[in-house]
Amino acid sequence: MTLLRVENVSKSFGGLKAVDQVSLELRKGEILGIIGPNGAGKTTLFSIIAGSMPASAGAVFLGERRLSGLRANGVVAAGVVRTHQIVRPFTNLTVLENVTVGAMFGSPSTRHNPRARAHEELAFVGLAERAHHLPAGLTLVARKRLELARALATGPKVLLLDEVIAGVNPVEAIEMTKLIRVIRDQRGISIIMIEHILAALMSVSDRVVVLDYGKKIAEGKPAEVVRDAKVITAYLGEEHAKSNGGIRGPAAEKSP
Amino acid sequence: MSTWRQFIPEWLSPAVLAVFVAAAAVLHALPYVVALSPYDHNQLTLAFLFIATALAWNWIGGFAGQISFGHAAMFGVGGFAAARALQMQVAPFWVPWLLGGLVAGAYGLAWGHPTLRLRGPYFSIATIGVGEATRLVLTYWQGFTGGASGLALPINAQLKYSLYWYALYFLALVAIASYAIRNSRLGLGLLSIKSDVEAAADVGVPVVFCQDLVLFLSGAVVGVAGGIYASYFSFIEPSDMFGFDRSISFVLMAVIGGVGTVFGPGLGAVVFVLLRQFLIASYPQLYLGLYGLLLVLVVLFEPLGISGLIFRVARRLRPHRGAT
Amino acid sequence: MARGLELLLSAVLLAGLYAMMAYGLGLIYGVLRIVNLNHGGMIMVGAYLGWYLHERAGIDPYLSLPIAAVVGFATGVVIYGGLVRYLPRGPAGGVQSLLLLFGVWLVLRNVAYLQFTGNDQAIRTDYSTKAVVVLGSALSLNRLIVFALAALLLVALDLLLTRTYLGKAIRAVAQNADSCRVAGIDVERIYTFTFGFGTALATMAGLLLGTLFPFNPTFGAGELLKSFVIVVLGGLGSVLGTAVAALILAIVEVFAILLLPAYLTGAVGFVLLVLVLIFRPGGLFGQRVLG
Repeated sequence: MTLLRVENVSKSFGGLKAVDQVSLELRKGEILGIIGPNGAGKTTLFSIIAGSMPASAGAVFLGERRLSGLRANGVVAAGVVRTHQIVRPFTNLTVLENVTVGAMFGSPSTRHNPRARAHEELAFVGLAERAHHLPAGLTLVARKRLELARALATGPKVLLLDEVIAGVNPVEAIEMTKLIRVIRDQRGISIIMIEHILAALMSVSDRVVVLDYGKKIAEGKPAEVVRDAKVITAYLGEEHAKSNGGIRGPAAEKSP
Repeated sequence: MSTWRQFIPEWLSPAVLAVFVAAAAVLHALPYVVALSPYDHNQLTLAFLFIATALAWNWIGGFAGQISFGHAAMFGVGGFAAARALQMQVAPFWVPWLLGGLVAGAYGLAWGHPTLRLRGPYFSIATIGVGEATRLVLTYWQGFTGGASGLALPINAQLKYSLYWYALYFLALVAIASYAIRNSRLGLGLLSIKSDVEAAADVGVPVVFCQDLVLFLSGAVVGVAGGIYASYFSFIEPSDMFGFDRSISFVLMAVIGGVGTVFGPGLGAVVFVLLRQFLIASYPQLYLGLYGLLLVLVVLFEPLGISGLIFRVARRLRPHRGAT
Repeated sequence: MARGLELLLSAVLLAGLYAMMAYGLGLIYGVLRIVNLNHGGMIMVGAYLGWYLHERAGIDPYLSLPIAAVVGFATGVVIYGGLVRYLPRGPAGGVQSLLLLFGVWLVLRNVAYLQFTGNDQAIRTDYSTKAVVVLGSALSLNRLIVFALAALLLVALDLLLTRTYLGKAIRAVAQNADSCRVAGIDVERIYTFTFGFGTALATMAGLLLGTLFPFNPTFGAGELLKSFVIVVLGGLGSVLGTAVAALILAIVEVFAILLLPAYLTGAVGFVLLVLVLIFRPGGLFGQRVLG
């Protein structure tokens, strides 16, 4: 059952086409991975889905509801929330207050006791002891968890994760991956995730979409996509060499 | 103690409530208990007004982080609207004040809605423009402001004496509102907007609505203050009501006291009033320079002004306190 | 028709000065990302400087231009080195720098009140009232001289920024200060110099403005706003963009005086500012970085 539908979305900046007629579907309960080289338009696509940027053409739907044209906060109220590639905590608020903002302003279901909700989300991501600290005092992985908790507090149906795993050490990466699975398995939230730590993304995604120069060049199960010639030439080939055998890393060993 | 607690909203700290009630009681009783000279009585009335305006300015300047150098526009619009209503003998006399507040708030919303989408210095400079344009245009709109010579109202000594209490209760309302806003959903939303407006929208904060609402409220309060000010002086003129100096005074009071803190601007207003009295008496020609110097000193040494100094002292006394 | 041409020409003359005036603000913003709220203050200082040197020392105001440049530069360096340097960079510093520089402006205004009283002053030379006939219109000699000087300065500025090592360093710092540090450029020095330079431009513009219009200690607020309109409209960096934006502003102003009742003309600049900020915050040329 299709939950989120991106229909022929394009985005141009002046003469540059950042996203070129991309269509994709997110099924309910699915984890959809998006990969592609830097500059492929992945984050731009997220910004369009999340409403922070208008598309030049095409539209995004959540079920029957048209999301395109809504402001970012409207999209959140509808049940779609994104995290940022470079985390953006509210530096003037404590960890708890950060998450409380999400709970207070998210989809209507979460608003009746926002502080309690915030505490729950903090416990879920493992930041409960840091509730009254300021984000500045947190490590990168803690800040990524904060960003995740804040997004979860909005009570989303769809979660857009933008490189939540990149930049943390392998042990933390495995923890994060587990957390993402739990979010889908236990909370029924459907997820689209952009990631360039391929091992993590491949092991947790049900399906993968590959973007290159703003276009979708492949789609399918992780195992299929990995073997697709177009994908290898565009992306995996270099990545294979660069990541010192990332595909053969420990997380890949554990994949089902 | 615990049964008491039930009646107080969760966000209201009993200590704050106690201090507030005590302060209100003391100030209410003051003129009956102490023989205040008419000058002091009147100065206190004005002080209450200034504190209220500083607190209200802080809602948009401190909570939302949008520094307005043009708040005098609302002060003037509210003042003149109230004065006109008073001239037309709209009764009772506090209805014109409310009217002034509504008109001022609406005016704030009108220029604010399009300009609040600007961030930081862009917004601030736009407010300089709004303040000055308002002054220029309304000074010549005789029907509203009576032209450069202003408006006169019938003098009522009885009313002026009782303005002390009206101003005091106005201030009490504004203080309560300040505390409530800061601890409410609106307050948290504003602070998140102040920190990162895009990230705030990305977690569902209705940025436009929050900013518009707080500017309306801030403008309305400043407008009511303008109305009470008109009743107080029984005479108002555009260069004083809309002047750049007046806009500066709002900024200064909040900065001295602590921009963004809940009650800091109130402290700043008290200092400002005392400073003004001292300057008028001894060095009337130095007030601008002194204000400027204060701004520079606060920015360089203690960005949260007096509140910052208090926090420092508090931290030294209770070092185990976590993040503020 | 002749009137229209005359107005157009006077707009062009004014535009030259406006462009130079705005460039000082734009330079500081482009490189340091700070809005110099004291821009108006230095314009006022420049006007009084020209007046003072003319009244007390009999120096022709246009010949005092180098003095204004030096005084402006030194003041800018002192303000940066003594005050601005200590502000936190980035978004946190934004509000702080506004308030700090605003404070400096207030101090300067007060000093001017004390020294010169609040009365209007004007710089009147023997030739202030002379006019020259150009293309059938009588144009004030002062305005022609001011235009020539402003144009010269702008050309010199453009050459400095594009042809000299210093100019390239400034543009590099405007684009990416961190990379410059790594490359061995003394970024603090560049900041200091740019702030001084921008302040010098404001002071010189103030002196030139003082030869055309009456002024008092409150002078500068309107000019600050106009400068800002031009910077936002014309984008940062290109002298050409600034010149075009200045021309647009000058034309709007000149024709507003013609079409609107007197009390509204003062509001024109402000209204234009708000409109520009709302509709084209990226400027006509879409540039945001010195380059």
